[in-house]
Amino acid sequence: MLRAVLRARRRTVVLAAAVLTGALLAVVLLAGWAGGGNSDVTDVDGSASAVVYAAGHRPLAPDFTGTTLTGSKLSFSSYQGKVVVLNFWGSWCVPCREEAPTLSDVAAQYQPSGVSFLGVDVRDTTASAQAFARSFHVTYPSVGDPSSVITLDFTAVVPIAGTPTTLVIDRTGHIAGAVFGTATYPELTAILAKVTGKAGG
Amino acid sequence: MTDVRAPETDPFDPAAEPDDPPRPDPASPGGGAFGPADWLRWVWRQLTSMRIALVLLFLLALGSVPGSMLPQQGTNPAGVQQYFTSHPALAPWLSRLGLFNVFGAPWFAAIYLLLFVSLVGCVVPRTFRLAGSARTLPPRAPRHLARLPRSAEYATALPPADAVEVAARVLAGHGFRLRRPAPPADRADPADDGHWVSAEKGYLREAGNLLFHLALLGVLVSVALGGLFGYKADRLLVQGDTFADTVSALDEFHPGRFVTAADLGPFTLTLDTFDASYISSGAQRGQPSAFDARISYTEQPGAPVRTGHLAVNSPLSIDGAKVYLIGHGYAPVFRVTDARGQVLYNAATPFIAGTSGNFLSEGVVKVPDAQPEQLGFTGVFVPTAVDVGGTLESVFPAADYPVVSLIAYAGNLGMNTGAPQSVYQLDTGGMQRLTANPQLLLPGQSLKLPGGRGTITFTGVVPWVSLAITHDPGQLPALICGIAALGGLLLSFMIRRRRVFVRARVAPDSRPGSTVQVGGLARTDASGGFEAEFATLAAELRSAHEQAGPHQSAAHHQSAAHRQQEGE
Repeated sequence: MLRAVLRARRRTVVLAAAVLTGALLAVVLLAGWAGGGNSDVTDVDGSASAVVYAAGHRPLAPDFTGTTLTGSKLSFSSYQGKVVVLNFWGSWCVPCREEAPTLSDVAAQYQPSGVSFLGVDVRDTTASAQAFARSFHVTYPSVGDPSSVITLDFTAVVPIAGTPTTLVIDRTGHIAGAVFGTATYPELTAILAKVTGKAGG
Repeated sequence: MTDVRAPETDPFDPAAEPDDPPRPDPASPGGGAFGPADWLRWVWRQLTSMRIALVLLFLLALGSVPGSMLPQQGTNPAGVQQYFTSHPALAPWLSRLGLFNVFGAPWFAAIYLLLFVSLVGCVVPRTFRLAGSARTLPPRAPRHLARLPRSAEYATALPPADAVEVAARVLAGHGFRLRRPAPPADRADPADDGHWVSAEKGYLREAGNLLFHLALLGVLVSVALGGLFGYKADRLLVQGDTFADTVSALDEFHPGRFVTAADLGPFTLTLDTFDASYISSGAQRGQPSAFDARISYTEQPGAPVRTGHLAVNSPLSIDGAKVYLIGHGYAPVFRVTDARGQVLYNAATPFIAGTSGNFLSEGVVKVPDAQPEQLGFTGVFVPTAVDVGGTLESVFPAADYPVVSLIAYAGNLGMNTGAPQSVYQLDTGGMQRLTANPQLLLPGQSLKLPGGRGTITFTGVVPWVSLAITHDPGQLPALICGIAALGGLLLSFMIRRRRVFVRARVAPDSRPGSTVQVGGLARTDASGGFEAEFATLAAELRSAHEQAGPHQSAAHHQSAAHRQQEGE
């Protein structure tokens, strides 16, 4: 009888251990899949790589200063009060080269209505970046970020996981939308329409 | 891996414990009514059995073999590229099997997850059992103590109840845990006269065992912690360059499950200089004698700049992360200008040393914004070059007589659309070769490209280092748990569980006093030594009884001299 009792107790222990392990694994897996379902962020154009942050949940863009490809000093704070499209790119980066014509088109469309465009040239050399600007007819300025320190500052507020990344900053200096990866025309114009309150520039 | 093996080779085989229930033997699934629950239980028992754990451990070891024999994407992406070039037929298959990323491959994850479950499933129930065992009271005294491995018997003038009382005090004084008879009303056995005491000592053995098992769980959890919250990253850094610890500045980034880009320690690190010295004569000629990377860093944006050194096996700790120097090489500096003299490219270009030794290195230069066609160059860099029968050979690893050999291409680099490219490989599929033979350049020399495509100049060479940045929050807990496991193991090795029983019976022939029987056994006495301990204890009990006399008094404090006299 004692043995039967002991056996029953052992079964409970084994079961408890099994349940514990299962629960642990479930937690790990669930936590891995969680992360979505944030109501403060809305996907744009059905793509999770382009998002709009709800008003009141927009992270404040850090200020930075740097040297442009043409050698002049540029301070981000001089853009205060304007909607800014901030594009992190590099001449070495294939998706950046892919999106460059799109950015030029969107810039041509939105610049007249007061939207500013600014590039952050990541892990690049001035010579290569200038050659890029020439071949893609980029008209807006870019600040060099060879050591990625500007990128690091922005990573503290938005999850920049690589180049390219495009941020849309509203008139109050808060990040209103972002495209992680290659930006497409519909994604960019959809975010800009929300931020400027105007469709099509 | 050695530490996770221990629970399987548990030196205290629980089956040897007399009051341990035998582990229910998993009947083979073939016999009888075997329901789904039985199947589950059978699978669970198999998984948590020592045999399966050993098989999994062996598989884990076997699985990591290709990880050390083949170049790995995480630690040596250039090596992988090279393997693809030199084994074009085999490499895609190895890649499909995940052999270039063994530690990230699903089959490898399956092995270690199963091993983890197996170990947890083995250790957790064991821990419960040990905790129970550490709390149990000694068993009731057997009726016939003379049958125990050690026993003694003597007469005393004390009545049985007092004799047992004195014995209990002596045993308690020696740190034994005691068990006394239940009150007469609760006694199951009517023949039990209630004049006995059971004593047991050495519970620290169970505590040590418990500590060992808990610490093992701790090691497992720490390893998991490191895997979930740690990260590994690589960065190739050319002398004079700076990088910030953020994903887009890293060449390789392997985050744990719960690590996001924002969790990276926000430090910035500059490689000020890198010096490698080599033995210049003798049999060891060309062997490295010292490496020294001088760096400056800031722990976070705006923090003061600190300086430091990095050497092999001497990492730098910054903000919870460790930065290791894992390799170095040469980055020839090239300047490419178009026909009008406009600079298209001006950069130190890291070349990767091959296997032929002395830092004979290969690399590529891509000029995607050249007009009218993109330009590409494949190159070989030789730090100390000599011409051996028309081919360049590197005779010394230091850059004493650097030479580059270039082949120029023009066409489509494939960089304007499509998949990201390796900076160490040139896809010449859409390109035409501009120079028939490799062109040799010394520092300062230029190669004019045909058809007004411009000029490439080899302007100099700078060293680069490759850095591994790791953050493993499980490292310290794993160390502490490892030490605790060792301590627990030692405790349980060195301490024996032993039991002593004392029974007093009314003396025969209706004389006053009683007959005292002392019996003892060591439950796990591999090392011996209990015989002497028992003899001393029996002698002490006897003298305590004699001292107490018919008038019971506190008598368990004995002088050493007296004890010696009373001894056998």
